[in-house]
Parts: sequence; structure tokens; C-alpha cells
Amino acid sequence: VAGDDQRDQFVEQWRDNAYGCFSSGHKFCREVCPVMAVTRNENHTPTAFHASIVAMEKGLVGVEDVADDFVHCTQCGACELRCPNTLFTGDFYRHRTRTVDVVKAMRALMVQSGNERSGWKLWNERLMADHNEPVLGDVRVSQEHVADWAQGLDIPVGGETLLFVDCEAAFARTAYTRAFAQLLQAAGVEFGLMREQWCCGGPAAEMGYVDLARAHAEHNLADWRAVGARRIIAPDPHDYIAFTEDYPRYFGEDYDVEIVLGVELVNDLVREGRIALRQPVQRTVTYHDPCRLNKRKGVHAAPRELLRAVPGITFHDVDHVTQWSSCSGGGGGLPIEKPEITREISRRRVAKAQQLDVDTLVSACPWSERPLSEAGAAARPPLEVMDLFELVAESAGIEVGGSRP
Amino acid sequence: VSVAFKSAVDEGVVDELRAIVGDDDRVLPNLSSRMSRTRVPAPFPVHRWSEFMPDVAVLPRTAQEVSEVVKLANRLRIPVVPRAGGTGLADGAVPLRGGILVDVKLMNAIHEIDLVDRAVTVGPGINMLKLNEELKRHGVFYPDDPASYPCSLVGGRIGTGGWSLLGGRFGHTRDNVISMQVVLPTGEIVEIGEGGGRKLRRSSTAFNLKQLFTGHQGTLGICTEATLELAPRPEVEFAAFFAFDDYLKAYETTGALTRSGLATLAGVVLFDEWKVAYLRRDDEAYIPQPPWVRAVVAVALYGTRAEVEPASKRVMELGRSRGGKYLGDEISSGDWASRHDRYATPLHGRSREGQAVIMSWHCEDAALNYSVLPQVREEWHAIVDRYAERYGIFDDWGMFAYTSGPGKPWADYLVEIDVGIWEQRLDDENWAGWVACKREISEVTLRHGGSITACHGATREGDAELVPTEMGSAWEVVKRIKRALDPNNVMNPGKQSLDEAYE
Repeated sequence: VAGDDQRDQFVEQWRDNAYGCFSSGHKFCREVCPVMAVTRNENHTPTAFHASIVAMEKGLVGVEDVADDFVHCTQCGACELRCPNTLFTGDFYRHRTRTVDVVKAMRALMVQSGNERSGWKLWNERLMADHNEPVLGDVRVSQEHVADWAQGLDIPVGGETLLFVDCEAAFARTAYTRAFAQLLQAAGVEFGLMREQWCCGGPAAEMGYVDLARAHAEHNLADWRAVGARRIIAPDPHDYIAFTEDYPRYFGEDYDVEIVLGVELVNDLVREGRIALRQPVQRTVTYHDPCRLNKRKGVHAAPRELLRAVPGITFHDVDHVTQWSSCSGGGGGLPIEKPEITREISRRRVAKAQQLDVDTLVSACPWSERPLSEAGAAARPPLEVMDLFELVAESAGIEVGGSRP
Repeated sequence: VSVAFKSAVDEGVVDELRAIVGDDDRVLPNLSSRMSRTRVPAPFPVHRWSEFMPDVAVLPRTAQEVSEVVKLANRLRIPVVPRAGGTGLADGAVPLRGGILVDVKLMNAIHEIDLVDRAVTVGPGINMLKLNEELKRHGVFYPDDPASYPCSLVGGRIGTGGWSLLGGRFGHTRDNVISMQVVLPTGEIVEIGEGGGRKLRRSSTAFNLKQLFTGHQGTLGICTEATLELAPRPEVEFAAFFAFDDYLKAYETTGALTRSGLATLAGVVLFDEWKVAYLRRDDEAYIPQPPWVRAVVAVALYGTRAEVEPASKRVMELGRSRGGKYLGDEISSGDWASRHDRYATPLHGRSREGQAVIMSWHCEDAALNYSVLPQVREEWHAIVDRYAERYGIFDDWGMFAYTSGPGKPWADYLVEIDVGIWEQRLDDENWAGWVACKREISEVTLRHGGSITACHGATREGDAELVPTEMGSAWEVVKRIKRALDPNNVMNPGKQSLDEAYE
């Protein structure tokens, strides 16, 4: 049976790594996990994820037994950071805990072995048809409208530097994208758009649809090469993860594109005086560390520096290590399969922010801003959720325009 | 008297459980839910995994639900195993006979913070680090600080009688729980304290039941709520690490520090040369010490600046008084700060030939008096060496001795020998070898007037069969209490030789 071969390969590949967790069993990961904070179900711990691979090796469980457990993860990476193996000896032994990769691999095995989840299946069928994720629900997304967000901004197609804008940022939270693009324009940065803009493919890989993810990556790289692009600007942290982790694995040494993270670029431009922030913003804010910046990539200084550069703002910061347990619940496909858990994670994040007596929660990731905004609107009193680029653009005197979901 | 043995929980029982909690998502008879609630961090006979699975897990939200579940189990003679964090170093939360596993993690609310009478009331599923994150803004903290501080839960701490790294100053779990609510093995919900109200610390009415319901390893009931001490957040923390070229000098320094009379002394920890060698196995987990270092003493003070500053000067004098060399501020503050994370990593395992292999951590603990520490240390290492030579899957990770008596640190120690076990190689023969090794270690402890466990619990094979010996003439009392409270032996059966109560 094909599924059995793939399962055996999976176990062979991950057994020793899983045993590194199983034999430790400390479970420091449990209390830092945003999903566990809600469900408190031991099945959903990284410890259980790794244990189920050991159990699979022993023939005690099959993919079908643990498939639902592996849906309960936003791939935020907190567990990996908190793991004592990673903290102290992982690098020395080249044996870091890799829960995110384990979850992705198990989800791939779920797809290969006929244990797909219905929500993810439908989502990725739509991706396959439309090449962007179905972020508008019943309204289909399309190539025809993928650059509508840029209306009136006069951005060319092609060039050495491309701005990558897909899915949520292209169709739903276009205010975010317009703010970012106009900040670059204000600084005189030259950039163009792709000829044919597809999804980065990262979320498909996170849900286990590896072939689909790879096809999108190949398309995008070909599109970049066709116009001679050398540099890709990725404002969306999820895209940044795909370009810096997935693509190098797909393409190896052939992958010679420079990837620039949006928030670091804008922060540099402000610091160099190329973007002037003159309009005071009279808000009392706290900052939500997006998981894929803070926990996955160690990016926590630049967004804080940028926020502090905005005149008039009062900033009540919570340090980035305390925020390891923070999350919006918006990542890893969780809102598609378990929207009630995403809602609760965001509700708690907003409630935490409200303890600080702020009027605005600032994030820096469009995927987080949808659930956080919903939670903010539902809170009593409500809490406004803003994107960092939108806030900075306001201070730069830019009329942003666009939409927010 | 009937005795509950390995049960078959059938569909009818699962339906009754669903009716009790009224939420199918909180009654989990599926394989993965059972598989993931089987083991704890202690070495596990992984080749016999399925023997230790519960038949069904239940995730209650209220004491009433726990009570109804236990009543059902008692009526049908089904074993009940309470489980909180599942981070114990013995098998308190491991089902030995299947049955219903009551997982209290969802009961993690903070019910009340009382800053006047200085008490916080919580559910048993809350973690101490998470609790203290909330308490921080009130200037207080709950001072229960085990190595498992980031992951163990209050209910498990009470069930196992947990031990705290700051216990010398602030007391251990049993000293910091003011009162609790417990579901008895027959299902009644009772309020257990010293007498008087929920926040009263001392009373002389009737019996002191609170201690009875602390550290029973889940064999006398399930804690469903606890009222805990709130201590002022210490203004300062001071830690100092001293290196020695000889164990006995370090041992004598430890004794001198514990007899210093410093009231802010939170703990003194003595590392022996096997432990130092273990920590030298890589270049980042422990800043490499020169070869002459054969023992380390760590000291920590907590309190107000007015107390700790002068006390720290005395600590520096005493630490150096018998040849100790201060290891510097970076190691001292850094290593103390990482005390929860650092001292047992499976990646440090070594085969007899010196090959790095991933090993599971067994921490064999005992309570011992100061006078016998050097002798016990030698005997324990000799035992582990003999078994390591014979079986090839064990690895001596060294010993710690921690001062244990709250406010009286001079005589009692939690002593542990850490042993790495190559679990991937476990089979019946190797497991039997391990159990025999454990038993020999425990027998040494008893010969020296110690207790076979200071805090982990005597629930595992190798320890459990020695409980009657250790308890001696009091064993009869223990058995009578167990049978009186749990007439059908449903509450965590098979642990601590308590089956003898029903013979």
C-alpha cells in the first residue's frame, strides 16, 4: 500500500528527532503553546505530537488516530524555543527540536494517506484553481483582480526589485499593502509587481499540500526570473517564512534571490531619514509580536524601533520573550479547521492588551489582524487593531485607502 | 472486600461519562487520547506501552463533574487515575490498571486573589509560572519553584507532595497550600484544611488532614481547588556558585552555609564530580570548568535588599572558607536563573563506549540526613556503575544534594542520583535490570535511616515494594486509612503497595 510506504518513510525520517522529545518529556512547551492554553487537551501538546511518532514506530497508532491532534497547531514555534533541548544542547548535538517541521510532515502524510481534513481540502482546491487563497469566502479571487489593491499607485510590472503581495494582503487587507507600498514610494525605493502573482505556497505546505505548494513556488520563481528580478520584498511575515525556509529547500543552490523583510526595510528607511514621520499619532498602543517574526525569525527589535519612531505615540511594551505565548491563532491553517479556537486565542490576546490600558493593539502581520480585529471589535470596550505599516503611513502623512476585512 | 483490577470500560460507561460532563469533546475514549496520557518524564517501559493506557480520559471543568465521575467509578469498581501536568518523576499519574483517567488541566482558573489575607484560590490545572505571571502585578508570588516550574501544575504538586528549589526559605508545596477541596475515592466533595475557614493557616481542631491529603500520589482523592499562600515578591535575589577540588571540602562548606543562621537562605545545592563531568559534556550547557573542579556548591538568597546585601557578604566568606573558588557573577546569576532548564538533557547521554545516545532521565530521589551524604554517595555510584557495566544502557549523570528543611536547612537533604537510560533499547530483561538497580539504591537509603523518596513518590517498581519496610510499625495505620477512605481500591490502584490494605 502506497500510504504504508510513506508512513514508514516518515517514521524513519523523524523517529530519532521525536525520541529527543519523548525521552526528555519535560513538557515546558505546554504552557507556552497558544492552542493548549485554550484546549488544555494533552493530545495537542508538542510532547504528544512527538510521542505519537514513537508510538507509530511501535505500531501502536496509525495516521488516522492522530490526524485530528495535528490540526491543533498554528506553527508559531513557541514550543521549539521553550524546549530545553533547543535552549541548551540542541545546536551542539545538531538535534534541535523541530515541532513545526514535524507538524508539516505529519500533515503531508495525512494528505498522502487519505486522512485529509475537509476544510483544508476545499481551501487548497480553491488555491489550485485560482492560485491565491480563498480569503474572500464565496467571492472568488482571480489573477484579474490580484493587483487591484495598487489602483492609482502607478506601480510598474517587473524590474530588479519586486514587491510580493498575495492572498490576504492582495484581496482582503489592502490598506496594509497600500500603506507599505506608499511608504516605499515616499522613500524613493524603486520596485515593480509580478507579471502573474500567485500565492507563495507556504500555507499549502503548512496544511500538508506539498505538491501544490511546490508548484506555486516554482511558478513564482519562474516569474521572478522572467523579468530579471534579483530582490524580493516580502512585507507579509508568512511569505517571508516561505521564501527563506521553504524555497531554499526546494531549489537549493539555484535559489539566488535576495529576500527583504518589509518591516526591517521600512525601519531602515525611517532611521536613514528617507521617510519622514511628522504627523503625531495620538494613541496609546501595545505591540503584538507576530509569531512568524518573533518566534520563527527572531525579529522583534525592528518593529519596536519603528513604533517608537512615530511622534505622539505612547507605547506600553510587553517584552518579546513574554510574548512567546502570545498568538492570534491565525496561522497554520487553524482558522480554517478550528475557527472557534482561533477566536478564543485572539480574544485572550486582546484581553491581555486591554490590561495595559491601551486604545490600540498594533500588529505587523495581515493574517493576525483579521482574527485580532474581530476580537477587538467584540471586546467591551472595543479595542482597535491596527497594522504597523498603516500607523507609520498615517504619521508619514499618507492617505492609505484600501480595505480592512 | 472487592479490589478493582484492570477494567474494561465499555460503551455504557463512556455514555454515562458523557452524560455527566455533557460535552463529548471532554470524554476521550480514542486511542491517541489514551496513548498521550500514559507516561510521565520518568523512564518508561516503552516496549510495554499499551499496558499502561487508561481506557478513557475525562477532562472535567468542575468539582461536581469530578465527583460524579468518581462515584460512577466507585459504583462499578473501575480504577480512577488523577492526572494534572503529567510531569512527575515517578509514576503517580501513570495508570497501572487502565480505568478512567481524570485529567484536570481544564480546571485552571484563578478564582480569587485576596491581597489582605494573602491567599490565592485556584483550580488544580494551573501552572505556577502562569499563576505568577498574573500575581506579579500585585507584588506577590506563589513560591513553589520546582525544576518543573514552567510545566507542572498545582494539582500534581499537591498530589505528589512537591518539593521547591526555594523551599529552604519559603517552604515546599505542603507548606504553601493553605487549604484545598478534595473529591474522595467514594465521590464526596470535602473541604480540607487545618480547621476553620479556607484561608486559615494554623488550627488545633480535630486532626491535621491537610498533610494527609498532600503527597498521597493520587491514592486518597482528587484535588479540585486549592487556596495557596501569597508571599511578598522578593526585592532581590542573590546566587553564588563555588568550585572545589574535592567533594569533602564542598560537603563541609555546604554544612557551614546551612548552619549560618541566615534567614534569607533559600537553598544550598551540592553538585558532585559525576554531575560536574556530565555538565561538561558540551561547550554551551555549562561553561566549561577547569579539570581541577570536582564539586560545586550553589547558594541562593531571597529577601529584601536590607537583609540580602549583608547576608551575601557572609555567604562569600563561608563559600571560600574551605577552599571554595567563586565562579563569578555570570555563572552564578546565569546558572541560577536557568535552574529549571539546564540540568537534565537527554542529548547528553553516553553509551559505555562514549558514543552520544539520546537517553531518558531518571532522577532517583531520597531524603537523607547531612551526616550520611558522603557514604551514600559512594554506595549509590558503585551500584549504578555495576548495572551500567552489565546492561550497557545506563549512564551515571551525577548527584545533587539540596537543603530541604524550610527555615531549618541544616539537617535534611533531598538527594538525587540522575541516571540516563537508553529507552530505545528497553526490553523485559533490561527493564528488570533497571528496577533491580533502583531497588538497590533505595535499600542503601533505608540502611542509612533515610526515606526512599523526598518528593517524587514511591510509586514505581523498585520503590513501591519497599514502602511497607520504610513505614514499619506505621504501615498498619496507613493501610487502615487507605481502606477507610477508599473501600473499593479504585483511587489510583497499584501504587505504593497499598493493595496490601485489601489483603
